[in-house]
Amino acid sequence: MTAAAPTRAPGWIRRNRDLVATPVIVVVGLAGVLVYTATRQLDSVEQRALDPSYLWPRFLEQIWLTVASTVVVIVLALPLGIALSRPAAARIRTGTLAFGGFMQALPPYGVIILLAFLLGFGTTTAIIALVLASFLPVLTNTVVGLRQVDPALIEAARGMGMSGRQTLLKVEIPLAVPVMVAGIRVALVLNVGTATLATFIGAGGLGEPISSMLYLGRAQAVFATSAIVAALALIIDWLGGVAERLVSGRVG
Amino acid sequence: MSETVQSPIDSTHRSGQRPMIALEGVSKTYPKQSKPAVAELNLQVPEGAIVTLIGPSGCGKTTILKMMNRLIEPTTGRILLAGEDVTDVNGDQLRRRIGYVIQQVGLFPHLTIGDNIAVVPKMLGWDKRRVASRVDELLHLVGMEPDDFRDRYPRQLSGGQQQRVGVARGLAADPPVMLMDEPFGAIDPITRERLQDEFLEVQRQVAKTICFVTHDLSEAVKLGDRIAVFAARGRLAQYDTPSEVLAHPADDFVTEFVGSGAAVRRLSLLEISLLELEEIVISGAGAAGKDHPVLSVNGAGHPSAWQHLPGSEQLPPLVTVPLSGTVYDAVDVMLDGRAPVVVVVDDDGQPRGALHWEALVAGLHTKGQPR
Repeated sequence: MTAAAPTRAPGWIRRNRDLVATPVIVVVGLAGVLVYTATRQLDSVEQRALDPSYLWPRFLEQIWLTVASTVVVIVLALPLGIALSRPAAARIRTGTLAFGGFMQALPPYGVIILLAFLLGFGTTTAIIALVLASFLPVLTNTVVGLRQVDPALIEAARGMGMSGRQTLLKVEIPLAVPVMVAGIRVALVLNVGTATLATFIGAGGLGEPISSMLYLGRAQAVFATSAIVAALALIIDWLGGVAERLVSGRVG
Repeated sequence: MSETVQSPIDSTHRSGQRPMIALEGVSKTYPKQSKPAVAELNLQVPEGAIVTLIGPSGCGKTTILKMMNRLIEPTTGRILLAGEDVTDVNGDQLRRRIGYVIQQVGLFPHLTIGDNIAVVPKMLGWDKRRVASRVDELLHLVGMEPDDFRDRYPRQLSGGQQQRVGVARGLAADPPVMLMDEPFGAIDPITRERLQDEFLEVQRQVAKTICFVTHDLSEAVKLGDRIAVFAARGRLAQYDTPSEVLAHPADDFVTEFVGSGAAVRRLSLLEISLLELEEIVISGAGAAGKDHPVLSVNGAGHPSAWQHLPGSEQLPPLVTVPLSGTVYDAVDVMLDGRAPVVVVVDDDGQPRGALHWEALVAGLHTKGQPR
């Protein structure tokens, strides 16, 4: 029997203290890399690659690729997952999830290049490739999250006169949201990493300075841009973690 | 033997004559099964009564309960609620008119206690203030302080408290009928007994028509105005008052199901206040004949010791039982105190008569008029 804590804020801070670690590490690490880079002698090629007027649009492209592909995944995989979780879909559930696993197993590098030959080069093709690569975690977690809702709660809801739709919206989805959000977090992290491959089909992103500097043998610039990609991935993962914490706070 | 106690409690004293729930020729055959789970069942539940449905596992008692609110659709037959045929009405609408309480309680963990209770009233479109006052009223009814519990979450409650909220939620929209599927089945025996007592107290106030599935015969006897004993395939083997089921099992199946403890269980149904007690004489009050037990009392008139018992040389220790108790309680104190006779005392502790072990064995006699 735990009484509601009379002093709410301190408890809330104490429970979530671990969330501070990631931003601190990212800020300190990134600042360290940038300060180190600033003390180096950079030639004109490196200076151009690390110039904010060049890097900032690449950064925005990276975020656009990540967010757009994740949104498409959510829009497609959540409804499909909800449909697959219904008892009527029991027969096709396993098969569909197995097919999703097959898609997941394809290497993104190969998929992105092959799709470019099929659909042409550019951002749209890159987003489609990212969607294929991150579709499964969202789909699986939606199905699993809904299937793990205690059947007694569904029986109670139906027994009280909720329709199937009301039960889904008011009981099943609210209780499955933490697991669904965890799947979306995985998709986001997959996408922010895979989006660096988009440069190979001309869709920009932070992969562009990395691959060009690598080609030109400018290790210092590769190091700095890679650190930015890593920091971005960590921060996106951290935001996903915060979102998970927020939605799972109440569901016990 | 004609006066021997069979049914001291009038089974209909809390219930009207009109059946609130009626099943007419109801059958249920599940898909891909050749034999029906329930076949041709006729059952009438009188208004305001608690009917306990009992039977071995797999007898279909839960299926029968769930057909009453059409969580399970009957294959054939009709279901009538207060005379209205509800076999084909919208199931969701129907269930909002019927309270439903299950063993796992099924409180929604993402909603507060108050919001859990408010689910059905909100679906029925009650305004906010009416919902809020109903929530508080129900929490009071089940013995929980609204200010303490309204905003808590289910996981912060003990099992017993959760089931109280479950009962409150079932009563939320004030439905005339409550269906309860082993609501106290998963609760420890001590808490269960208390919940049963509280439940009877709540029922005295709300007077709902209740169908209560249980696998515990003691619970069925304690709570039921009537017991419906089911055999395999939902065959209604006997449908009668608890004392009648225990005293006169309808067939071999019921005899076996009720088991060898039936006579003892019946004792808990016999209220001492309904019995013809042996007269006792207070010592010093004169007329100390040899054929009545003589008792000495203290200044307050409470019994203090036996002075004389007809036909016994050694006087047994004095044990007492309240007039409001049952014969079960009387036997309990007799065995406990190793006394063949017990003094029945009223609320003020005044002796009202004696109850003899031999009389119990020989068969008890009720007064002409119950109560």
